[in-house]
Amino acid sequence: MTSTLKSGSSAHLQAGALRRFVATPSFFLLVIIFVLVIVLGSIKPAFFNGPFVIAPLLTGISIFTVVGLSQMVVLSIGHMNLAVGPMAAFGAMFMGLSYELWDLPLVLGLALGILAGAAMGALSGWLVARTGVNSFIVTLAMSFALIGLVPTVYSWLSAGSAFTVKPDGLDEIGRSSFSAICVNGACGSNAIPLIVIPALGVMLLIGYLYSHTRLGRELLMTGSNVDAAQLSGIPTGRRIVLVHSLSGALAALAGFLLAASTGSFTPGIGQEFMLQSFVGPILGGTLLAGGYVSVTGTLLGITLTLVIRKGLDLFGVGLETLNVLLGVILLIALSSDQIRLFFGRRRTRRPAQVDRTSPPPGPKLAQPSVPEEISA
Amino acid sequence: MSSTIALEANGLSKSFPGVKALDRVNLRLMSGETHALMGENGAGKSTLIKILTGVHRPDEGALSVAGSIADIHSPAAAMHAGIGVVHQERNVIRGFTVGENIVMSRMPRRGPRVDWPAVRREAKRCLALLDLELDPDTPMARLSSAQTQLVEIARGLYTETSILLLDEPTASISDNEADRLFRVVRRLTEQGTAVLFVSHKLEEVFAHCDTVSVLRDGRSVLESEPLSAHSRDEIVDVMVGRSLAALEVPERAVDRSRPPVLELSDVDTASGHRGVSLELRSGEILGLYGLVGAGRTELARAVLGLDRVTSGSVHVRGARVSIRSVRQALESYRIGYVTENRKEEGVFLAQSVTRNVAITVWSRLERMLGYVSTKSERALVQKYVTELDIRISGQRQLVGQLSGGNQQKVSLAKWLAAKTEILIIDEPTVGIDVRTKRSFYDLIWKLADDGLAILLISSDLAEMITLADRIAVMDRFAITGEVENSHDYDEMSQSIIRLIHGHAAVT
Repeated sequence: MTSTLKSGSSAHLQAGALRRFVATPSFFLLVIIFVLVIVLGSIKPAFFNGPFVIAPLLTGISIFTVVGLSQMVVLSIGHMNLAVGPMAAFGAMFMGLSYELWDLPLVLGLALGILAGAAMGALSGWLVARTGVNSFIVTLAMSFALIGLVPTVYSWLSAGSAFTVKPDGLDEIGRSSFSAICVNGACGSNAIPLIVIPALGVMLLIGYLYSHTRLGRELLMTGSNVDAAQLSGIPTGRRIVLVHSLSGALAALAGFLLAASTGSFTPGIGQEFMLQSFVGPILGGTLLAGGYVSVTGTLLGITLTLVIRKGLDLFGVGLETLNVLLGVILLIALSSDQIRLFFGRRRTRRPAQVDRTSPPPGPKLAQPSVPEEISA
Repeated sequence: MSSTIALEANGLSKSFPGVKALDRVNLRLMSGETHALMGENGAGKSTLIKILTGVHRPDEGALSVAGSIADIHSPAAAMHAGIGVVHQERNVIRGFTVGENIVMSRMPRRGPRVDWPAVRREAKRCLALLDLELDPDTPMARLSSAQTQLVEIARGLYTETSILLLDEPTASISDNEADRLFRVVRRLTEQGTAVLFVSHKLEEVFAHCDTVSVLRDGRSVLESEPLSAHSRDEIVDVMVGRSLAALEVPERAVDRSRPPVLELSDVDTASGHRGVSLELRSGEILGLYGLVGAGRTELARAVLGLDRVTSGSVHVRGARVSIRSVRQALESYRIGYVTENRKEEGVFLAQSVTRNVAITVWSRLERMLGYVSTKSERALVQKYVTELDIRISGQRQLVGQLSGGNQQKVSLAKWLAAKTEILIIDEPTVGIDVRTKRSFYDLIWKLADDGLAILLISSDLAEMITLADRIAVMDRFAITGEVENSHDYDEMSQSIIRLIHGHAAVT
């Protein structure tokens, strides 16, 4: 930083940015994913099969990145949302209802469902801000309530506990690839599903929010120290409600994407979301205690777990073994902090006199530095 | 009284990041005496107590108990050496009962199990020493703050100690309750216990203590001298340090004909203020002096809309206002607040310097879609980093890595960047060494000369008399008087202390 200020040369600036990137979890994840893909691909060339392996993998990454971001936004203020899955189910339920019972077009149903998710999030946020009860407890309660409510509504209103009416365009979003898009006879790849588009859109939006806007900065400051944020003029109560709504909205969107890829709206949507929602952001360097997020890291964290899953799947490893392995890999990946710290230390040596109470609490006791920019 | 040396400290030094808290401090505590330890906030009293009780270890120096060198490396070791303590902070566990809290340091046991009848018996015994009729099974959470303090004292009496350290035990209890405490203290000293008594209350010290030691800026300025040899004024003088009080004060002209920018008339607040009236003009430094707990910070909170104003009126630049949030105070009325608890409320330790300073100006830098340009943000912050001479390795540096003085500058810089016109500065130099203090004083004068209206809250009398143009004295949530500052230390300290104690005598 000092060097960039003094010299001002762009080469210097890029070198600084590169070194900062190397010190982030994202870089580490990128290396692991790259090595893993090479190894998997060379042992099992089938791993590179476009329509049957890569396309479903990308679909999963797209959906779960949105799930991860839904958790990441609440983590940014040091809260959590244990109801990510049930909120997705709740939102998806409204979408299913809109299409099956009210014959609404795709966009309207989607908007309604996202609003429903956001409303549930707003309710959690309001309860947290109003009562001061920990978000863990509030969203846990919310989760129970929704897990009970959603299947009940399905059993009343749907035949066979699922809404199966598909509005125009649903299959295109959820089950088509770029091969369906042809310009002058040249069609896109069948390895890349169209569902990556909404996921990328969300990533760009959230990335922009945290790296370039006032609101994103205020959320991070709230996460760092809520008392200081309030005394600096940030309306922390409103920020809490807002961020929980955003989480609910993103959860509902993830629910929609999952329903679009499977073809029906069921009460089971979101059952696998909760653990994944934490794994992605945390692997990617987002602090549980708040104050630092990484959108790229979330994408890469999700990608890593899904690549491992897909790879082991190809080797015929059973689901149980797979989960055990995922747990082990998660532990290893999280301790990789020490390795990153080694790289980070060359740049910002933490002075020995730093107050022991000062670094952010949470699993990452040794965050080497907090990069200013968060690239989407 | 033939007494022996109960505890002796020689040349104790202790440093914390950025501050030398103790510098070759000596203390000699005789058995059977009540020894007053005095000094201003931040003088090093609490650090000394913490060393004597094994919470901190000294960087240099030696301790001896009853004539032999003692290695007090932990609170348990201190207890073993016969040193008991009543801490200033509430160290009770609110989820436990009174009895459990009292005997916590050594639970009576029968085999592996807690001996509950003994817990109750012991707790009752300690409470009886203070004439307290409390059921040992009462949950702590149900007690008033005075009762909590008394339980804290009872806890100090639980174990047999030859040395008892009392760190401001009377700060939050009534005179009546304090009297009971002093009766117990007298009984203990008659039995040969040595008592070290930390207090800000001169009356108490002169009424109940035999010997006095005074610390100032981490140094011993009076070492274990008989109290009878000194007058109150002398004690106050050595506590505050005339040399600092006699600092060169710049010539300041405040235009009193101007209408006030901030005016409180007859304000009552939800936190307990009654009939508070103040006027503050731009370019003026109004000091708000009082003891800890007098309600000064709470008044600041009320002005900022964090606590409710229940009656009376607040005017900003002539217009009556009702402020409900810090954001409104800042954006509509240009009022800023540099908080007292720097690390907890003033700065974001895990965030960069840029963000710590820019937090108040994002609303101004915001463009379409909430876009804030990092470049303009950095340029703005750089301006204040240079202006306040904040020592950083770069704007990306985390504020947690800066020294206390630089953190305080960061905490101040955000309000300057926000272009506030009224600035409330709460205890600006606590935990900051003398030299940095001086540069802060220059900065505050400069800000006032530039037209800022400053409400300065401080418990440091010398600081008040050095900095303020006028001093309002607050005691128990009411203004007891206001004096024009002549910068003459003797005269000012007399009249201010009279304002506090005169009021105390009436109530």
